[in-house]
Formats: sequence, C-alpha cells, structure tokens
Amino acid sequence: MTLLARLTPGARAALLVIAVGALCMALDRSANWLPGWPDALTLPMTQWVGDGLEWVFDLIRPGVRLISALLEYPMAGVNWLLTETPWPLVLGATVALAWYAGGLSMAALASVGLGFVLISGYWVEGMNTLALVFVSVPLALILGLLIGIWSNESPRARPWIEATLDLMQTVPTFAYLTPLLLLFGFGPVVGLIASAIYAAPPMARNTALGLQRVEAEVKEAGIMAGATRAQQLIQVEIPAASTQIMIGVNQALMAALSMVIIAAVIGGFDDIGWEVLLTMRQANFGQSLLAGLVIVVFAIIIDRISARMATSGQRFDLRISWIILGVSVVAAIAAWALLPPPGDFALLAPTVEAVDSGLSQFTRGAGATLDSIKNNAMFYGLLPLRIGLDSAVLPFTWGFSWTPGMSWIYYGVAGLIGLGVALTGRITLGASLVILAGVFETGISELPWPVVFVGVGALAWVSGGWKLTRLVVILLLFIAIAGLWERALLSLYLCGAAVLICAVVGGLLGLLSAVSATAWAVIRPVCDMLQTIPLFVFLIPVLMFFQIGEFSALLAIIAYAIVPMIRYTRHGLVTTPAELLEAATSSGATKWQTMKEVRAPYAAPTILLGLNQTILYAFAMLVIAALIGTTGLGQSIYIALGSANVGLGIVAGAAMAILALIADRIVQGFAEERRRALGL
Amino acid sequence: MSTPAISVDGLWQVFGTDAKARLKEALGRNDTAPDAASDLRESGLIPAVQDASFEVREGELFVIMGLSGSGKSTMIRCVSRLVEPTAGSVKIDGEDILAASPKRLIELRREKLGMVFQHFGLFPHMTVAENVAFPLKMLGKSRAERRRRALEVIEMVGLDGREDAYPRELSGGQKQRVGIARSLAANPDTWFLDEPFSALDPLIRRQLQDEFLKIQSGLNKTIVFITHDISEALKLADRIAIMRDGRIVQIGTPAQIVLNPVDDYVREFSRDVAKGRHARLDSVLHTDTPPQMPDDPKLRLDMTLEEALANCMSLYEPVPVWDDRGRMAGYVHPSDLAAALQVDRS
Ligand SMILES: Nc1ncnc2c1ncn2[C@@H]1O[C@H](COP(=O)(O)OP(=O)(O)OP(=O)(O)O)[C@@H](O)[C@H]1O
Ligand SMILES: [Mg+2]
Repeated sequence: MTLLARLTPGARAALLVIAVGALCMALDRSANWLPGWPDALTLPMTQWVGDGLEWVFDLIRPGVRLISALLEYPMAGVNWLLTETPWPLVLGATVALAWYAGGLSMAALASVGLGFVLISGYWVEGMNTLALVFVSVPLALILGLLIGIWSNESPRARPWIEATLDLMQTVPTFAYLTPLLLLFGFGPVVGLIASAIYAAPPMARNTALGLQRVEAEVKEAGIMAGATRAQQLIQVEIPAASTQIMIGVNQALMAALSMVIIAAVIGGFDDIGWEVLLTMRQANFGQSLLAGLVIVVFAIIIDRISARMATSGQRFDLRISWIILGVSVVAAIAAWALLPPPGDFALLAPTVEAVDSGLSQFTRGAGATLDSIKNNAMFYGLLPLRIGLDSAVLPFTWGFSWTPGMSWIYYGVAGLIGLGVALTGRITLGASLVILAGVFETGISELPWPVVFVGVGALAWVSGGWKLTRLVVILLLFIAIAGLWERALLSLYLCGAAVLICAVVGGLLGLLSAVSATAWAVIRPVCDMLQTIPLFVFLIPVLMFFQIGEFSALLAIIAYAIVPMIRYTRHGLVTTPAELLEAATSSGATKWQTMKEVRAPYAAPTILLGLNQTILYAFAMLVIAALIGTTGLGQSIYIALGSANVGLGIVAGAAMAILALIADRIVQGFAEERRRALGL
Repeated sequence: MSTPAISVDGLWQVFGTDAKARLKEALGRNDTAPDAASDLRESGLIPAVQDASFEVREGELFVIMGLSGSGKSTMIRCVSRLVEPTAGSVKIDGEDILAASPKRLIELRREKLGMVFQHFGLFPHMTVAENVAFPLKMLGKSRAERRRRALEVIEMVGLDGREDAYPRELSGGQKQRVGIARSLAANPDTWFLDEPFSALDPLIRRQLQDEFLKIQSGLNKTIVFITHDISEALKLADRIAIMRDGRIVQIGTPAQIVLNPVDDYVREFSRDVAKGRHARLDSVLHTDTPPQMPDDPKLRLDMTLEEALANCMSLYEPVPVWDDRGRMAGYVHPSDLAAALQVDRS
C-alpha cells in the first residue's frame, strides 16, 4: 500500500491499464464477449432517434417549408444579380472594395484572383456559390449577433449557450446535412441553412467575447451618462467591441464558404463545389484541381479583405474606388456586345490538359514509387495500428506469419524494456511503453472494450479527476450502446495515426520555425494558405497521387490538421519571457539547453492547446475524408446522408462529436495542469 | 441644518456569491462590524466596503483617501449605484438612491451626477468631442447644441484644438482631461472623481490640481474625490475620509487628520507632510476663560501653525488669537504649537 501511495497518479493509472490488459489477454480464449462490444447490450438508438425526429419533423415541416420558400426569393435575387451583372462590373466592384480596404496590394490580389476565376471558365459556377454565401452570411451574422448579445445579457443562460456553441462546432459538418435534407427537401436551401447554422457560432462567440472585453469603465461611463440598456449596447458596447465582432464576421464568412462547398455533395445546384466533386469522381484531376483553385481563390480574397477590414482601421482613398467602379461600368457598357459570356472563357483548357497528361505521365513513371510509398505506409504502419501485428503480419507482406510464440517474445521484450525504464525512476514512461506495445500488437480496432474504457477513463482521471472520468465513461457508454463501437474505434485509429504524425512532424516544424526566422518565413505562408483552403479541396491533390483509400484520407487529414500544431508550438517557444531567457543565458546555458530546459517547459501548455486544436481539426477532416474511402463513423454519416437516414446521421454525428469532446477535455485538462504548475 | 447632498449610512459591499444572505448571517453571529468582516473574509467573500457612514454637505469637496485596494473605488461605485450595495442606505439630496427605479436612476444620472473614472473609460470609437457630447446626446440635445457645449467644456479643460482626435491619439493627461470634460458636459450638481490625477506625472498633476481648484471655485459642485496621495488630499479637501481595508477609520478636516490621527495607519499617511503648512491655528485653540496673557504677537485664526509659531518663538505664556473681525477667538499655548509641529519628527 505504501508503495502504491508513493506512485504518481500517472503511474498508477498506467499500471491499472496494464493489469486490465493482461486480464483481458488471459481471458481472451474463453470470453468471446471481450473484443467487440456485445450486441446484446446495444439499443436501437438510431431507430428511436430517427422515428422521434421524423415525428418532430412532420410537425414542423409546414413552417419550415414556408421559410424555405421565402428564402428562395433572396437567393434567386442575389444569384441573378451576381450571374446576370456583366462580369466587368462584378470584378470592378470587388476590386474597388479591395482597394478601399487594403490599398494597392489588396486590389491587385482581387483583380488577379477574379481574373483567374474568369479565365478558368468557372465564373457562373463560382457566382452561384458566392450567391449562397452572401445570402447565408447575413442570416448567420444576425443570428450570431443576437446569440452573442443574449449570452452577454444573461449570465444564467451563458454556460448553456456556450455548451451549445461548442457542440455546434464539434458536430461534424456532414451531420448537419441529413436532418436539414429531410426537413427542407433537396435543393440549395439546405446548403444555405446549413451554412447559416454552421457560420453563426463563430459570430456569436466573438460577439460575446468582444462585449465581455469592453473595459468595465467604458461600460460604466455609458451608465453614468444615463444611457438606457439599449443605448448602452448600441451606442457604446457594440461599437467598442467592433474589432472582435469584425473578426467574428471574418470567421463566419470563411465557415459559410466552407459549408457551402461541403453542402455541394447534396447536389442540385450548379455550383463550384459540385464541379469539384463531379470532376473528382470522373478522375478528371486537372479540371478538378482548376475548380479547387477557384474555391481557394474565393477563400483567399474573402478572407484577406474581411480580415483587413477587421483588424486595421486604415482605409484608402474612396475616390479611387469610385474611379475603378466607373471604369468598370464604362467597360461593361462599351463592350456589352463584344464581351463573351463569362462561362465561355476557357483560356486554361490547354493548361488543364497539360496538367492531366503530365499527371498521367508522372503516375506512369513514378507510379511504382508512389505505390510503394503507399503500400509501405499501409502494411508497416497503418495496418498494424488498425488490426494489430498479430493479424497484419502476413507472409506476402512481411515475409513471415505471426505466431502466438512471437507474441510471447514480443511482450517479454516490451515488458523488459518497460521494466528497465521504470527502474530508472520513470515508472509512468515505462508502463506507457508497455501499453503502447500492447496496442500495436492487438490493433486499435481490436482492443477489448474493457481496456478502452479503463484506458480512456484512467487518462481522464489523471487529467481531470473523477468528475472527468465519470463524464468520459458515460459518453463512451453512449457510443457503445448505440451500436457504433467498432466504427468509433476505426475513427479513433485513423485520427490517432494522423494526430500522432501531426504532433511529431508539426512539433518539429514548429521548433524549426521558432529557432530559424528563415524557416518561419517559408512555413508561415504555407500555414496561412492551408488554413484558408476549405476542407474539401484537400482531397484533390491526395487523390491525384494516391487514389481512393485510407492512406489518401490520412494525408488529407494531416495536411489540414498539422497547422495548429506548428503555429502553437512556435508561438509557445518564442513567447518565453525575456527575463527567463536572460536568466538561462547568464547561467551559461547553450541555445539547445535553453530550448530544452526553459523554453519547452514554459511552452508546454501552449503546445498542448495546439495539440488539442489539431485533434479537433483531425476529427473535422475525418468526416470529409469519408468521401474518399474511410471506414469509421465518417462513413456512417456519409451513408446516412446518401440514404436520408436521419437517425443514423444524428447518432453517428453525435458519436463523432463525443470522441472529439473526450479528446478535447482530456488534453485541456493536461494543459490546465501544466499552466497551474507554471503558475500562469 | 439643511439636508446633506450625500448621506451614506451603514453601507456594506460584499463581493461573492450569495453575499446578502451571508452578510446577514455574519452580522447575526458577530457583535461588531470588523468581526463580521473577518468572518466573511474567512469564508471566501470579499468585504470591500464595511459599515461605512458619512455625509457630504452641499458644495463641499469631500476626499476619500486610502491605500490601493482599500475599497475607495468600490465605495464611489456604491454611491453612484454602479454596483448594488449589499446593505445600508445611500441618499442623494435626501432621495434614497437604492430604492430608485431604473427609470429614475437614468434620470438622476442624466441630470444630476457626473463621474470621472480612474482609467478614463473613454469610448474608443468616438472622437474627443463625441465623447464629451455623449451625456448631452443622452439628454436628447440637438446635434448643434451638443457640439457647441462640448467645445465649451473642452476649452475649459484646455484641450481646444484636439476635439476631433480619437482617444488612442491622446496622452494620459489629455485623456484624463477628456474624462473630466465629459463628466462636466451635462453640468451635474454632484461630481464623483476616482483618482483623476494618479496616472499622471507629478508636474502635470500639480498643474491639473490647480486647474481643478479653479474650475471648482467657479462651479461650486458637491464633490467626492478619491485619491491615495495625502498631499493631494490635504491640498484639495474640505474634509477627508480615510479608508483602510474597507473601513472608514477617520473623517475630519485636513488639520484634524494631520494633528489628531486616530491610529498608526493614519499617522503613517501624514508622516511625510509638513504639518505646520496644513494645520491651522483653530486646531490647537482653547476657548475657555483665558488666563493671564502678558504678550500679544497678533495671531489670527486663519494662520497656519507654522506662521503662528514664527510669531511667538520666544514666548512661553499663553497668547490670544483674533478672528477676522478683530474679536478674540481664544488663546493658544506656544508650547502646544511646537509640540503639534513635532509629533512625528522623532
Ligand atoms: N467586482 C469585484 N469583484 C470582486 N472583488 C472586487 C471587485 N471590485 C473590487 N473588488 C475587490 O475589492 C477591494 C477594493 O477594491 P477597490 O477597487 O475599491 O480598491 P481601491 O481602493 O479603488 O484601489 P486602487 O487605489 O488600486 O484603485 C479589492 O480587494 C478588490 O480586489
Ligand atoms: Mg480604485
């Protein structure tokens, strides 16, 4: 007992997991209820939720259809405006706005970007997409503003509002679509509503945050001047919070664009997202890349202009904007008859063909290399992680087959190494090594469920105590009882692999960026770029080279999720207070000693937050990656969408959100603990 | 006597959850306010103002002084009801502020109260003129009238020429002037100032203090002025209330504070001030039947101790003191003068 009491919580948790694992192994042969969650213990939750929702939907459908019908008008109007307005005018107006917000560089960006859209031949499709964005964003902004104000005005409602916003942002994007599809019926309105709902939370959050951050004395000055509550809000607090609120507008715009593109999978609206999907399915990659680039261009232009308007008060000469606009009006009128319709531009067709032929040449030439990269990663990395060495090691890949004897030797060696490490005093590390070895031997998707419950529960206990453990176990139980256990493990596996790689590679890149300004100058624009690209577009390049499958999905997830890890690592490392560094230097520490002993520990909480973001990003992308062949919960959600199975869509979406939530809470707990330890 | 402009009685401000009920319990358990306060503190609440009572007369300049964190800002916030006091009563011109309806409160603030904030509290999205005109806007004044009056007050605080600048473009001292101008725009009767000069360097501070006294002599408002600087308090105040850890430990004229500090805390404050310069003769005056007085160095009632002592350096017997109409107001012992001046020199 005294020995147990001397162990750190981490060591105790790890040893408990080993004990449960060993017990499961001992029972393995006799108890066939161990590996997967027993069917007898599941409930037809999908069915219930589906039926319940159908009932509710039947009730509210008439009202909803009315809204839908009403929304058709603004949508058709904006759509008509954007597509029927002569393109020189649209271009001119955008450039004029860009000039006003950001001067010459912004105007150049806008004209080059829209010029590219024009010559790509995707003008009409692009405008269709923008029309959806421009109708959904005002809805999202109003909704978000109201929610943000509500949260600010009612301290009692605030925790509930925040929890709901959290949920809305963790529920995978696809999961929104199924119920909306059933409610609104096929058509662009679904995309519109989905993107309004999806874009409202960032607006709400930033509004609430901005209002809370208004200096207390500024608010009090409003009160003392005798302003009514409404006057205080409208004349003092909202304007004083405008910078933060504009950041919300920027984020809402980006979220709306992202969602509109994703909603294209429903089809029925001749937009640019649909174009990407279609060409991708036809393996028409040059064309698909072109369409994808159009999306990226839109994203960049919208993001940069709105971000500039949010963060910089500087505005440029409005007269020049009017001149630009005037010139474009003249151009539009003068060349009315001469100009070809925007859809007829196909200046890039040769380029597309060149890309296509180049690509096929490349894949023909380098196909063997690409395949071998992919196969090696699959056979020696992903597959063992998924189904374990015991099943993945086969004669035709590894050259031999795995025998029970090998398992004994493997565990023996792992145990000895673990013991060795433990004897040097690092008991937690030693035990963790043994656990990892066990996971690799068994495979994540084949872990006995008691081990998963105990393992995740123990981690939660170390991170946040009993309260978190209870929450986590209840949430896991929900997944299991819903009958989604195996799928959840599959999601966990793919996400885990991606996050692991992101953590290592992203951490290293962050470190590199922290020590070398040159490296950061290169990495930073790439990060900016990756964060602006809507999720969907990540699929194109990986498909081009690695076809459909888990490996492509993995790459897409990594490409998207690695960014926060890089950013936060660097940020944490470079923001170490100067006095600490000076103290280290004056104690004679070398650069690397300073990094290891001072910067890294100080940055740990920030890096953990980066890891947390990376995990959330990975889950978000996982669902999108279902489009190119993954097997977990993402696939279920996608299937649900295809078959309009609202119960499955909701429950699988909830399961996905639960996984993300569990990871979030556990990592946050560790970050919090580190922060406390540092006295921050 | 007429109704005091401000009267505060048994005021408590306790921060924390469920403060009202827990204050009541603590007061039930303990006999004295300090005991109740430490009881509250032990259970994790913050008694920022404890059982405070004072009155401010019309036209009086009342200074609240105390160290950082002693509850000065909280006190002024209670009086202006920016925070809801936990217990006690606050009356302004006899009207119970704590019972005022939200509508009445807005009316009072529009017409009667003005406030200058410790950290300025300027609206970042408005120009100087718009900031200053804001209270007038709340009063429903026309745009032209707002601008006219704003420029008038801006000129009064010496900021003319900067009326179209934004707060971020101003220095600390200029910001504070904007805060002062804004609080004066609607010409309130009662003026609260929360450490208006602390953020400034000594030179500018002295200059603003002088300007402040000048402005006040023309306006003659009832003023509650907060500071943690004893010389500022002595220079400006009609009366001073000294706060410590949420309690008012002494209220008195500058001379009383300097010459008869109630405890070491107050004494510590006045340690470094030259007493003779602040205390006047009346603080050591005897008014009983005078004894034999052979000498008359012609002391006047409004002389400071220092001046008086200079006139009777070599005298040992009591001397008479004359008021401004030439009548004898009483007498003083020259030794008292010397003693009063030397209390803390040791
Ligand atoms: N809203 C609040 N919630 C909790 N505690 C508060 C709050 N406002 C003030 N306090 C506490 O009340 C005490 C008095 O604060 P107050 O601001 O009144 O001090 P002060 O005398 O104005 O100090 P300073 O000279 O630094 O401005 C402090 O301990 C402070 O931490
Ligand atoms: Mg204060």
